[in-house]
Amino acid sequence: MNAIRAWMKERLGIGAVTGFLAKKEIPRHKHTFLYYTGSLILLFLVIQIVTGVLLAVYYRPTLAEANASIARIMTEIPLGWFVRSVHSWSSTFMIAFVLVHLLGIAFTKAYRKPREASWLTGVLLLGVSLAFGFTGYLLPWDELSLSATKVGTNLPKAIPIVGPWLSHLLRAGEDVTGDTLSRFFVFHVTVLPLAILAFLCVHLFLVQRHGMSIPLKEERKQRKIPSLPFWPNFVFREAGIWLVLVGLLLTVAVIFAPGLGPQADLMAPAPEGVQPEWYFLFMFQTLKLFPARILGLNGELVAVLFMAAGLIMVFLLPFIDNRPFLKKGKVITALAWAAFAYTVVMSIWSLL
Amino acid sequence: MNGRRSPVSSAVLVVAFVSILASGVGEARSQDAPQAAVKATVEKAPGQAILAAPRTARERTSIYVLLAWLWLSIAVLLWLLRLRVREADRVFHMGLDRVPEKTAQDP
Repeated sequence: MNAIRAWMKERLGIGAVTGFLAKKEIPRHKHTFLYYTGSLILLFLVIQIVTGVLLAVYYRPTLAEANASIARIMTEIPLGWFVRSVHSWSSTFMIAFVLVHLLGIAFTKAYRKPREASWLTGVLLLGVSLAFGFTGYLLPWDELSLSATKVGTNLPKAIPIVGPWLSHLLRAGEDVTGDTLSRFFVFHVTVLPLAILAFLCVHLFLVQRHGMSIPLKEERKQRKIPSLPFWPNFVFREAGIWLVLVGLLLTVAVIFAPGLGPQADLMAPAPEGVQPEWYFLFMFQTLKLFPARILGLNGELVAVLFMAAGLIMVFLLPFIDNRPFLKKGKVITALAWAAFAYTVVMSIWSLL
Repeated sequence: MNGRRSPVSSAVLVVAFVSILASGVGEARSQDAPQAAVKATVEKAPGQAILAAPRTARERTSIYVLLAWLWLSIAVLLWLLRLRVREADRVFHMGLDRVPEKTAQDP
């Protein structure tokens, strides 16, 4: 065993990494639980990669076969329905933890200098995760997924100049067709995984480079904050949380496995009750609330610009709130709470 | 072991027990009318949505039993991890994990 370890150390040069991890310490305070959310996102990403590869073996991304291949996965392949359910639920768990992670960082002001780039890559990772959800929603090619994708890909059209081009790029044509399905599949299994891995590597490197951020409240107490060794104390605690969440994921995947709707018909009218995934519900409801015309402008355009402005503000948050770390940020905290409340209320409203 | 069972492990045991019982009920029903149970799940009218669920009694039983075993295994692993965490914390607080710095007398 020691010989193998020595061989690996010499050939792979992992001594530097293990040495770094052996010395790494995690600050201990009442917000330490936020440090677990990062690794949980990674856990669910790995589960999605494994189940995604299994599904891709049987999935056929064509107009004629997409829905039938999912039906085959669910009815003929042993435990196929379960693998699909785990894939779907792990994406929900991952996006939920990405949002918790992001909100935690916003509330603790961990995006301030010198961690601006960590925030930027983190928001990009959120964007890629949402793109995964958006492209994956069409792949079953049932009535609901087709209608929701039509609504989603129609949104950019409201943006002047680049809007129609963007919508055309997403749909691979004027409308959602079999080409859109192929395009979404390619994005879902090649472009987005490469993008998420690239952003993840940069994000993890930056997190290690700048160390774990300590919440403003703890930092202001002007006392030495106790810490915990990463290995083994923190890793063992983390492993416990991983185990419970994997158990929860598998249980939810068995009890609430997603079904499959009838094959999409391009000529059929949109069915009733079209809804996107839960993480897009607040946008969906916002769009519904905006009137057709506002001050002579197209209501949809105003809604899209309103949401785009919000997203840009989130992305550029470290540069909007660029005060020194020890300065309070009550306005940002209030805005973060308001955004959180707005998202929750709109999502619930959309479901009613 | 101090002989006392924590609320978490008790809850896990109850969940596991109920899961095993529930899976048995499903299987017993399909044994009463096996053909009807299989037909009801497999045959679907064209255009009708497909429900995701264990399709046969055998698969249903195995998946719920598997879930029960999973939670039991998680409970055991959590108990083992708790012991390891306590030990690691004890070693850390006693300072036994720190490598002593080399002094001038050391070779």
